[in-house]
Amino acid sequence: MRLSLRQWTVVAVIVLLFVLVVPIAWTGIESWNTTDDYRIPYGLSEDYWQYQRFVGATANGSRKKILAIGDSVIWGEYVTPDETLSQHLNQLAGRERFANGGANGTHPLALEGLVRYYARDVRDASVLLHCNLLWMSSPERDLSSTKELSFNHPRLVPQLYPRIPCYRATINERLGIVVDRGSTFRSWVHHLRIAYFDSQSIPDWTLEHPLENPLGQVTLKLPGPKNLPHSEPVAWTARPMKPQDIPWVPLDKSLQWQAFQRTVRLLYSRGNRLYVVINPFNEHMLAPASEKRYRLLKGDAESWLQAEDVPYDAPPVLPSAEYADASHPLSAGYARLARRLLEQESFQDWLVEE
Amino acid sequence: MLFHTWPFLVFFLVVWVVYFGLRKTPFWLHWLLVASYVFYGWWNPLYLILIVYSTLLDYFVVIFMERSSRKLVWLVISMANNLFLLGFFKYAQFITDNANLILSQFGVVYSLPAPDVLLPVGISFYTFQSMSYTIDFYRGQIERERSLVRFAAFVSLFPQLVAGPIERASALLPQLKKFPQITTGDVADGLSLFVVGLFKKVALADYLSRVVDPVYANPAQHDAATLLLATFAFAWQIYFDFSGYTDMARGVARAMGIRLMLNFNHPYLATSLGDFWSRWHISLSTWFRDYVYVPLGGNRRGTFLMYRNLFLTMVISGLWHGAAWTFIIWGAIHAIATMVTRRAERSEFYGRSVPIFVKRVLVFTVVCFAWIFFRAESLQDALLIVSRIATTGWSTPDFPIFALVLVGVIWCYQFLYESRLRGLLEIPSVQMALAVGMLLYLLIVPGGGGGEFIYFQF
Repeated sequence: MRLSLRQWTVVAVIVLLFVLVVPIAWTGIESWNTTDDYRIPYGLSEDYWQYQRFVGATANGSRKKILAIGDSVIWGEYVTPDETLSQHLNQLAGRERFANGGANGTHPLALEGLVRYYARDVRDASVLLHCNLLWMSSPERDLSSTKELSFNHPRLVPQLYPRIPCYRATINERLGIVVDRGSTFRSWVHHLRIAYFDSQSIPDWTLEHPLENPLGQVTLKLPGPKNLPHSEPVAWTARPMKPQDIPWVPLDKSLQWQAFQRTVRLLYSRGNRLYVVINPFNEHMLAPASEKRYRLLKGDAESWLQAEDVPYDAPPVLPSAEYADASHPLSAGYARLARRLLEQESFQDWLVEE
Repeated sequence: MLFHTWPFLVFFLVVWVVYFGLRKTPFWLHWLLVASYVFYGWWNPLYLILIVYSTLLDYFVVIFMERSSRKLVWLVISMANNLFLLGFFKYAQFITDNANLILSQFGVVYSLPAPDVLLPVGISFYTFQSMSYTIDFYRGQIERERSLVRFAAFVSLFPQLVAGPIERASALLPQLKKFPQITTGDVADGLSLFVVGLFKKVALADYLSRVVDPVYANPAQHDAATLLLATFAFAWQIYFDFSGYTDMARGVARAMGIRLMLNFNHPYLATSLGDFWSRWHISLSTWFRDYVYVPLGGNRRGTFLMYRNLFLTMVISGLWHGAAWTFIIWGAIHAIATMVTRRAERSEFYGRSVPIFVKRVLVFTVVCFAWIFFRAESLQDALLIVSRIATTGWSTPDFPIFALVLVGVIWCYQFLYESRLRGLLEIPSVQMALAVGMLLYLLIVPGGGGGEFIYFQF
């Protein structure tokens, strides 16, 4: 094959047109059911293109909603789609005002990346941002450990700066991720893989399905969220456990906290109105010394939010039976949280301004 | 640094811009040398010690050769040095293992310690390239290169440093005498070569390796059909991998105005083994022809000696590829097959009556048989694969239809290319459609990450 420079220019233009047009056109031809209690299906947790599509439509669509953003606590690991915090808020408020923009496994470093690269359309909108202090509970959770670790959503975390000590991807992998994040087309390609090819590349998928036609997999219909909890909704007390002496990483040394701070500033820089909810963490499982460290940590978080003039609530610990684990409430816990929020003056003022 | 990775893209863009910017100064060559050393040192900075040492030695050997009446002594020093480097890093383990095996057969309880050394990437290539310079100078075929920087750039030129093509001094050194004229045609041709090479490597070779590797890792678990298909898949994998690398290397060099030799010419369309070796890894086969086969006497001393020389050349070529009996046997199979097809071509029946298509199938079959030994992880595995192909039953193999379609399309392209319908492939809109197809395929289909090239291990 031998093309002249002019012919290569034509090729480049055609490829560029394809790259620009196809993801846009795809949104028109691929169907997905958005019910009022929609949340990103668990299997699409790493489908950031789909996340971008959902939050963009929700925050700026004709039925503009308040987007609740956070990890699986917002998403609702142990509850059905209609038992999440956002749905309990809707039920108590009497109308569909809140949307579930939670994404499983998005620790603050990943959440920052998700907001920065895939929630660009969330502008001049109202955002309920959850702060889960669980991610500061240890150097490993904080990703500040120097031991190499695998963690959720490596494609969302900062690749070059700031440095994450436990993240040991090669330069090629990092640069590839940086390029992917800047390209809607590459995000769309990942969407195809996750949605239709079991999160594999097409060649890998054909190795597991040697006699099947890969084109037949692309049904143009996205799976909807299952109407089931992802994990069994059983209280943590059903599993015998000694009090945990969780170390906690001080906020001034915490990579996850720094990421959370950047996320707050980023959302504000896009003209959004923000309300932060801190946990509540399952303090029942903490040993006394750990509980004391946690309280200090929480106090520091509140101090920062006050200093930044960010409206927030830091609900007290829920009854023990309303927790499924260290940070996830059960349905009754979400209901309690929703009631509390709606009773808070700061939240009411924030809602009124919206 | 692999060609098909982001760091290389960044590296090349920076290198090219500065290279072009320095074109009116004498420093473009120095920049090329620095870039080549950065490229090579990216694998392991310690490798630079070896290549600099090898470069300096051969540079000065030729100076002394020019001034001395005992040129042969200096040639021997150069060859001994290069072969020693190759021998130590590549063959020490093999020699030690076999020596210990022999000693144990004689009841000797002691064993030689096995040196645990890492094989420096590209050593088989740059030692041969450097040796060709000293040999050609000895033969009076080239003049001494006076500039150390130019000679060092010749030895270490980054597009072809780690896996060839093995360039001759007479072809490459003149191109480094002054800054090359880079035309838009060079950039376009470079881009064409690079995209084709990238497609071969990422879309085809890396995919086929996923099919081949599990089968060859555990041949006892697979029956004849799967082993056969994996062998055919490997034949294509190694072709796409190596020719893809060469295309990218030539493309990169071409974009810098430097022309590297053609290294693959549709080898699976060969009609004899001799034809195969005029199409496969051409730079290596011609190196062995000029520096081993011909000095041994070539075909000038009768049939028996011709066959002996051919056999020795092919076996040494096999050994060049790796320090294992499987590579030696691979070379021997090619030697025997070359002799057989050479004789057959002389016969009336084979030469004129057997259709070309049949010859191609025969040659491809023999080459694939030899690939079994090349790819197998041990001699025992190779023999097991051969016996299982011959004796086990056939069941429907779990071979992806997608892979068959891809290879089928490529084979059709190659047949068309060497047929009277070649003109169809040269229609501009067809070529542009192919380019668009390849680029979109690369953007959408393959997974991330870049597998290493097979020939880097040599």
